Amino acid sequence: MESTLLVQSLLLALTTAGLYAAIASGLTLEFGVTGIINFAHGEFVMLGAFLTYFLYEAVGVPPLAGMVLSGLAMTALSWLVFDGFLSRVLKQDEHNQILATIGLSILLINLAMIAWTPDARVMHAPPLLPPLQLGDVIVPGNNLVVLLVGIALYAGMIWFMRHTRQGLLLRLAADDPQLAVLAGVDVTRMFRLSFLIGGLTAGVSGGLVALILYVQPLVGVDLVMRAFAIVALGGLGSIGGALIGAVLLSAAENLTATFVPGGGSWGYGVAFVIIVLVLVVRPTGLFGSERRA
Amino acid sequence: MKTGLTRLLPYVLILLVTLALVWIDKPFWIQLAIGVAITAITALAWDILSRTGQVSLGSAAFFGIGSYTLAIFEPLIGLTLAWVAVVVVCALAATLLGLLTLRLRRMYFAIATLGFALSMQVLVVVFPDWTGGSGGIAPPVLADGDPRWQLGLIGLLLLAAVALSDTLLGLRFRPAFFMIRTKPELAAASGVPVVHMKIFAFIVSGVLIGLAGACYGGLYGYVVPTDVFTTNWSVLPLAIATLGGMDTTIGPLLGAIVLKALEEVARSVIGGTGYQVVYGAVIILFVIGMPQGIVGLLRKAGKLAGRRTATGEKKKERERHA
Repeated sequence: MESTLLVQSLLLALTTAGLYAAIASGLTLEFGVTGIINFAHGEFVMLGAFLTYFLYEAVGVPPLAGMVLSGLAMTALSWLVFDGFLSRVLKQDEHNQILATIGLSILLINLAMIAWTPDARVMHAPPLLPPLQLGDVIVPGNNLVVLLVGIALYAGMIWFMRHTRQGLLLRLAADDPQLAVLAGVDVTRMFRLSFLIGGLTAGVSGGLVALILYVQPLVGVDLVMRAFAIVALGGLGSIGGALIGAVLLSAAENLTATFVPGGGSWGYGVAFVIIVLVLVVRPTGLFGSERRA
Repeated sequence: MKTGLTRLLPYVLILLVTLALVWIDKPFWIQLAIGVAITAITALAWDILSRTGQVSLGSAAFFGIGSYTLAIFEPLIGLTLAWVAVVVVCALAATLLGLLTLRLRRMYFAIATLGFALSMQVLVVVFPDWTGGSGGIAPPVLADGDPRWQLGLIGLLLLAAVALSDTLLGLRFRPAFFMIRTKPELAAASGVPVVHMKIFAFIVSGVLIGLAGACYGGLYGYVVPTDVFTTNWSVLPLAIATLGGMDTTIGPLLGAIVLKALEEVARSVIGGTGYQVVYGAVIILFVIGMPQGIVGLLRKAGKLAGRRTATGEKKKERERHA
């Protein structure tokens, strides 16, 4: 029985890891390129979740299509936000950079609360895939979708960074902005591009959130806090590290919830113990580099 | 250098406003003033820490630790010693966090301090025998629940915070803090005890925030973890100090007044849910419009009025640091 519980717990951890990796990799890409931690990243996920939810409940758009639309909508919003004000913050002191995205986060959360009340909602869509039965262990269909789409997003991002010209330029702007300028790269365009990709992945991740979690204005906060832990584990700016961090974190969380008495109430406490421990041992994260620190 | 008169201005204003409010005895204004004073103390404390280059998102940890320490120790060792315990525990927590985060730079520091604050909240929920868990805890009521005396006491703490901030902006500390913030290697090479100074700033900041938290808990004699450990108490000090003007004493004071006033307006217009939208809007407008805060704007206005030339200001600034 104990071992079934263990396998069940680890499998569920793996599916949430897909979601975490998708969210954290967007966050870490934005940081790696611009040097700004986007504290409002979770709010883009939250808005994506609400959009997918309303598209299904009010208009009847199937969740998978809703996800794509949410992704596009959040890309557009990211564009607006970047050109509207984040681009002006890039040259300012770090406290202003931190404050700018925190301000955006507070603004979006409270607008959501005013518009949709703080209540939690559930999307009543039928599961997109049949549940997967492995012996005694059952993985719900929607969790499978989350895993598959999450991994697809993550893999797509890795592919984009490694095998396209824009990805190459993004990496150059991240590694050495001054050299990038000398090489004739429009660095501001690259900064914008990183936020557009971040917005896209956040919007699609929002659709995944609507599939397996409650849709409510604070859902982004919960997720982005975990993304911080993942990014601290994997190294700020390292997309490769984000997947490893996501798997480690969700395994640790699910194991705590399953085996520690009362561990379910620890929530993202696990994430923060991890953050503090990792940063103490290796100040730039397990797989991070010194440069951006 | 500032003249003696402008230097005394904040003290006189705080004293006069506090006394006037106690005299008039209108509950709404007293509650508002208490709110402003508590947030101003946390903002001053945050600013003191930031002067050593440590941009923290962990103020809520100390705010909560302060109120919880008072509540836990008061039945054990009495009220007076419990206040001493608040100072000691906050100083210890600040030393611990300061040492842990000593090597962390910029964003890593911000995330680690944020993580510390949030793990504190979880810690409280995980050990309910000591802390009352998510049900909350009852710190002793401040000044027997008389709002006028509460305002008086918190006003005194604010005066102390202002005095501390001014002292640390004085000739003895400011140059060292400035060097640690801008060129830590140079600071170390020229004999500034970088580690000691950073930890010292952490302790001063942590104890001040802890005392403010203990006062806050004593307002109603009841706190829950989501009230004092909320990320709000980490963000507010940063927002207020930045909006008012960092590296000054008057900045956090002005910022607290402006932000709290706006909050009251928003609360009456929007209602209890979502009124904090005003924080978000104000923060974004300020970061775009006046990145140096209110004080920066006033200085610029002063410059435009022709009292100082741009280079003269720079030179004076340099003389002040030299």
